Amino acid sequence: MSLLEVKSLQKIYTTRFGGNQVQALSNVSFSVENGEYLAIMGESGSGKTTLLNILASLDKPTGGEVFLDGNNIVKIKDSEISAFRRDNLGFVFQDFNLLDTFSIQDNIFLPLVLSQKPYEEMNKRLKPLSKKLGIDEILPKYPYEISGGQKQRTAVARALITNPKLILADEPTGALDSKAAMNLLKIFSEINEAGQTILMVTHSIAAASHAKRVLFIKDGEIYNQIYRGSMNNDEMYQKISMTLTVLATGGVKGE
Amino acid sequence: MNKIFYPKLALTNLKKNADTYVPYILTCIGSIIAFYTMISFYGNKGLDEMPGSINLKTILFLGTIVIGIFSTIFLFYTNSFLIKRRKKELGLYSILGMEKKHIARVLFYETVVVTIVSLTLGLLGGILIGKLLYLLLLKLLHFTTPIQFYIDGRGLLITAGIFLVIFFLTLLTNFIQVKMANPINLLKGGEQGEKEPKSSWIVTLFGIISLGIGYGIALTVKSPVEAILLFFVAVIFVIIGTYALFTSGSIALLKVLKKNKNFYYQSRNFISVSGMIYRMKQNAVGLANICILSTMVLVTISTTVSLYIGQESMMRDMYHFDMIVVGENTGNDEALVAESIQKTAEQRGVNPTDQINLRLGNLTAFLEGDHFMPDLVAKEDKDNNYYTTKTDVWLIPLEDYNKMSDTSTDLNENEVMIFSVGDNYNQKTMTFGDRSFSVKENLQTFPLNNKKAELVGKTCYIIVKDEGVIADIQNNLYPDNNSKSLLFGKFFNLEGNDEAKLAFSENVFQQVEGINPDIDKASYYVSLTEWYSIFGGFLFLGVFLGTLFMMATVLIIYFKQISEGYEDRDRFEIMQKVGMDKAEVKKTIGKQILMVFFLPLAGATIHVAFAFRVMAKMLAAFRLTDTGLILICTIVVTLIYALIYALVYWWTAKAYYKLVK
Ligand SMILES: Nc1ncnc2c1ncn2[C@@H]1O[C@H](COP(=O)(O)OP(=O)(O)OP(=O)(O)O)[C@@H](O)[C@H]1O
Ligand SMILES: [Mg+2]
Repeated sequence: MSLLEVKSLQKIYTTRFGGNQVQALSNVSFSVENGEYLAIMGESGSGKTTLLNILASLDKPTGGEVFLDGNNIVKIKDSEISAFRRDNLGFVFQDFNLLDTFSIQDNIFLPLVLSQKPYEEMNKRLKPLSKKLGIDEILPKYPYEISGGQKQRTAVARALITNPKLILADEPTGALDSKAAMNLLKIFSEINEAGQTILMVTHSIAAASHAKRVLFIKDGEIYNQIYRGSMNNDEMYQKISMTLTVLATGGVKGE
Repeated sequence: MNKIFYPKLALTNLKKNADTYVPYILTCIGSIIAFYTMISFYGNKGLDEMPGSINLKTILFLGTIVIGIFSTIFLFYTNSFLIKRRKKELGLYSILGMEKKHIARVLFYETVVVTIVSLTLGLLGGILIGKLLYLLLLKLLHFTTPIQFYIDGRGLLITAGIFLVIFFLTLLTNFIQVKMANPINLLKGGEQGEKEPKSSWIVTLFGIISLGIGYGIALTVKSPVEAILLFFVAVIFVIIGTYALFTSGSIALLKVLKKNKNFYYQSRNFISVSGMIYRMKQNAVGLANICILSTMVLVTISTTVSLYIGQESMMRDMYHFDMIVVGENTGNDEALVAESIQKTAEQRGVNPTDQINLRLGNLTAFLEGDHFMPDLVAKEDKDNNYYTTKTDVWLIPLEDYNKMSDTSTDLNENEVMIFSVGDNYNQKTMTFGDRSFSVKENLQTFPLNNKKAELVGKTCYIIVKDEGVIADIQNNLYPDNNSKSLLFGKFFNLEGNDEAKLAFSENVFQQVEGINPDIDKASYYVSLTEWYSIFGGFLFLGVFLGTLFMMATVLIIYFKQISEGYEDRDRFEIMQKVGMDKAEVKKTIGKQILMVFFLPLAGATIHVAFAFRVMAKMLAAFRLTDTGLILICTIVVTLIYALIYALVYWWTAKAYYKLVK
């Protein structure tokens, strides 16, 4: 059974005062296997963030179903949704979303504290993680005192520390320079090697070329997908940019 | 560029920032109204005709100055808050290619709009509200003669002038802010440098000590005079302590909590403690301001209300009788006075009751042990010390005493009885020059006066065998003085309506003045009208300033809530993304806000509790010794204040939640 299964997902935004309707997702179906590293690409406004928000149970779809490990997350009760999210999902956002009120260490601890883990255990998990992400030196600092790359690695640490089934990342390299971005992608590849399932939305071909599979969305629908197979990063890069060109010139669905 | 581009942009900006600029303009209008009202009362000629008007005018003058200073500080404070909020917007203009010169021009036009609106509405409001308050003032003063209310042209000019200067200065500080900052700083202005708050144990300790000294002074004050002198010292210590503890102490305390890992890493404490540290750092000064302002409101209103309510009983303490006439028994003064009293009473329809007529001798002396020493201090050397140490001695023949107190005591040549106001006379004997007496009885009640201590100096009444003994005492103490005649005294109460009693008193005063200007006269009713003007003035000023301080408090709270709301909106979202329940987030944040905003009220209540003793002592200087009354007034005022505070919190919290949603 797949870890994540998305079935004919549909999302229509209705503006507050009735009026205009925007179809952000029209019919999206795909599945993610355990240990996969999936990138989702598409033009601006194609519905990527919308899709991710639904997967993250931050938003409800207007139609369709999403199964994580066999549980339909669309049907989870509001009162249980936070705990579900905490225990099963990890998030990395474009703008980091760290809290200024907490030190780096406490930011990473936040989801664990919310699930009421004892301090010793939190500390035990933090040690190797912070070393691996290269942030063990800055743990006592505050978000406004560190660089963007460090912030994003902190956010990754916060996502990983709960040992989630699935990491969701929305343009994680968007606010980083190329060096910090490469650094982050290397980390993603490493944790994926170690067995972590990752789903990443990105505009960057370089970022997507690290993934094992790339999914293209256009006008709220899956347009195409590419498997890495035996390709290396460079070949993957070539293939992705070709597909994007076709996509931009208005190619028809399918290959 | 088009000439009206800047004024137009300025108007758009003001509209866009309405949720902060409307309260700011209201603040300006409020300050202008308050200032104009005070200064126009001060300049009001009609009030000059009132008895005791000089005191009232002094009170109003002080009020004008206090309001002027307060408005200046407060407008600067709100302005700095506004400009901080708007730095981002200004930075954006600058990045979009607007020169600093142009930004300054926008700011200038904005200030012009604010100034015109505030001054027009403020002065108009001042004229209208001033009229209403004027009627209230007259009512408080018990001043019934209708006085023409007028528009004070000079007051209008002074008010406009002062506020133009204030607005100009705020504009200047804004210019400097823009000039100093580069666009990046401007862009980040709102959120810049939220550094980990520093807590210093030294500052905390200093705050505790300072507060301790302030409280200590307040608790150990002995006399009313001391209370008035030391009150301001205590106030300064308490203010310093409050600021130190709010800024440093609160954070030090929270950090101790944070150090305790098992406590801190509990999901509830985790968010509250770090959130509180963050909030306290940003709000400490504002909260300390609120705490101090609230304390001032409570103390001012409680004391003035106590004074106002208590004044009749205070006057009763001072005036054991409604009317007293004491004069030298030369010619037929006594008969003329008696006739005047009787005739006027008939004319005015009042009835003199409880009449006591007696003969008495009067002298001042210094009491050392059981020796009454002659008072030989020259007129020009009579200083404060003289008045606090001298004793007023009234000598009364036994026959008159027995008559007025309905007793039949016996005294021989060498015996006396004494009634000492305040402390008892503790000696068994007393000596005037060469003449000694043994004290037969220490009276505890006396028809002419009560036992409550005088504030300044001492008074005692000594009953001796007869007039011969009185002359003997006077001769022994002052052998060289030959005006030692016996005095006559008339003590009586009045029955009738209040206006008639006052008219009676004033008429008799006039006539007695005509008989012999040296005759002493005192009337409860005449004094009461004079004191009404003082205490009514105090009450008016107290309530007026109290209301003003309260408005300031409300505005600080409002501005705080708004700025918190903007910041919390983002944090609120992040917390949900990380896996916190929406309801839970709302609950924790709500609790923090509640704590932050009720902390100053709690602080103010504690301050007032400690200040109570000093307040009571100070009021005793005005002869208000009814501690129960003061306590009730203070508690009621505090409760009402807490209620208003809670309402304000509730109202601003709504604005806050609207932002957060
Ligand atoms: N809350 C909302 N209300 C109404 N319409 C929305 C809302 N959020 C997104 N949309 C619309 O849905 C469509 C998809 O938006 P979405 O944010 O998913 O795009 P995206 O692929 O993430 O774009 P980008 O790459 O620019 O981030 C867009 O047309 C957008 O305008
Ligand atoms: Mg997006």
